[in-house]
Amino acid sequence: MTTDAMPVRISSGRVFARACAAEWTRLWTVKATWWFLAVAASIMVGLGAVAGLDAGSDPTPSPNASAWAAAHFTVLPAQFAFLALVLSAVTSDYATGGIIPTLQWTPRRTILFLARTGVAVGTATVAGTVLALGSAVAAFVAARSALSLPLGEGIHGLATIAFVLAAGTALAAGLGFLLRNTAGGLVSVFLLILLLPLILPQFGYAWLTTVADLLPGSRAVFLLNGEPTDRGFTNTSSVIVMLAWAIGMAVLGWLRLIRDDANH
Amino acid sequence: MIRIRGLTKRYGDVLAVDDLSFDVEPGKVTGFLGPNGAGKSTTMRMILGLDRPSSGEVLVNGQPFAAYAEPLREVGALLDPGAVHSGRTGRNHLRVAARTNGLPLRRVEEVIDQVGLGSAARRRIKGYSLGMRQRLGIAAALLADPRVLLFDEPINGLDLDGVRWIRDLLRRLADDGRTVLVSSHLMSEMEQTADRLVVIGRGRLIANATTAEILNGLGRRQVRVRSPRPVELLKHLQEDGFAVEQLDGQELQVEDRTAEEVGELAHHFHIPLHHLSDVQQSLEQAFLELTGDSVEYHGHRAEPVDAATEVAL
Ligand SMILES: Nc1ncnc2c1ncn2[C@@H]1O[C@H](COP(=O)(O)OP(=O)(O)O)[C@@H](O)[C@H]1O
Ligand SMILES: [Mg+2]
Repeated sequence: MTTDAMPVRISSGRVFARACAAEWTRLWTVKATWWFLAVAASIMVGLGAVAGLDAGSDPTPSPNASAWAAAHFTVLPAQFAFLALVLSAVTSDYATGGIIPTLQWTPRRTILFLARTGVAVGTATVAGTVLALGSAVAAFVAARSALSLPLGEGIHGLATIAFVLAAGTALAAGLGFLLRNTAGGLVSVFLLILLLPLILPQFGYAWLTTVADLLPGSRAVFLLNGEPTDRGFTNTSSVIVMLAWAIGMAVLGWLRLIRDDANH
Repeated sequence: MIRIRGLTKRYGDVLAVDDLSFDVEPGKVTGFLGPNGAGKSTTMRMILGLDRPSSGEVLVNGQPFAAYAEPLREVGALLDPGAVHSGRTGRNHLRVAARTNGLPLRRVEEVIDQVGLGSAARRRIKGYSLGMRQRLGIAAALLADPRVLLFDEPINGLDLDGVRWIRDLLRRLADDGRTVLVSSHLMSEMEQTADRLVVIGRGRLIANATTAEILNGLGRRQVRVRSPRPVELLKHLQEDGFAVEQLDGQELQVEDRTAEEVGELAHHFHIPLHHLSDVQQSLEQAFLELTGDSVEYHGHRAEPVDAATEVAL
């Protein structure tokens, strides 16, 4: 055993790069990651193929039908697999107590936050975008030329999907750091992204509808599918609402991480 | 070198650590001793920057632990061996650690060998016994060959071989010139390993001295004396203000005095003695005396009993 002489100064960038490498290893050495990706892949590619078969067997095919629609529709259910993936990448350390060694190895908490959030959100976003492409291609192939696959629409569509996934999973990461609890995080994500946007407008009160309009799930559906058309949503306002949620929640999660004791 | 000054930690209205100050020096095994709930783990968590002190400060080799870019090279620590993601294999757990501090993956294989984890490293941590988890935690602590090592109750749950292995390891690490702090609630454990003892109770410092000093200086001294004229001896001792008790027949026990004092008094009155000895104060008794008050006032009546039975193991 030897002890090195004076340690050389290590830049924060270097520490961050190492933390990212460690997060990458962490992500791929647990089953949950593979499991969630498998779920997302079967939803997106499987349902894409089903949609393509459907279109191919339609006796009166619409002339302008695009295979990209499959990507937009299948990402709606599949996003929950990505949200769960990112959430569990953050909260599993709290469930297992693994946060204790994690913070011993990376005690600079802001660096840990950026690396963990960045790697998980980046992985989910890239995987989701690739699977969206896979979904559209599956639909295109299965439809046997009943659907088109225009390039320009594809690039715009994939960029939208990437944004929705990045914003949603960043929100999930922030929630994970804030709540430190997988079940609580999942419930919150479901409420914000699926249930409340769906349910609140049903009550018929204008103010509840306004609340629903400000939820990230409402805007995700609008960006992906252009619905609803009657609530005055624009692309810009929707992007702003989703970014506000993502950044706001990430900041809250970061504050809890840097201020509180490691795990209670 | 660890430097602790005025360290205090409150959890709500629980005062877990109360104005603690001490240094842990290199080249020695320092035992960190106290009954359950004394604040040992909390202190270690604050050394590692896991919990924020309510007041006071801790420096490790001159800096707060959280300031280090490569903390594994400064401090290796094993707190709770169960606190790991049990879905990973042991090897992958260590690989993650190596990546965080820019260590070559070769080191992972070296520490796996060093702690004797062997082929278990390929398996998920889920299937590990407590002893194997301890070894895994120690492997992570040794990974970057740090100058300071912290172990929180490392003996817990180990079989005899494991206990011996840990003792040897602690000794070797200290002999290499490293700073070694190891906590325990068992005095008998520390007797075997520690050069110095920092004893705490209810979060407060009770003693900070060498193990020998704690044993000899702080414990109560007793003298056993046997004489064919015990009643006469008892009377003279009591008249001279000795606290003395007749044990049986010819044997007396004198508190807080040395054999010299008792022998001289007997000689003065021409009382023959058949036996005279200082009673070796056991470490357990010394420990109980040191921490007794701090346990007693702890609220739960059960705790002194716990401490006593555990110490007696
Ligand atoms: N997170 C916490 N919240 C509230 N009280 C705590 C917490 N952690 C420890 N304590 C209390 O602080 C005291 C010291 O605990 P600890 O440091 O674990 O003692 P030891 O390791 O010496 O057994 C105990 O009374 C314990 O109940
Ligand atoms: Mg403890």
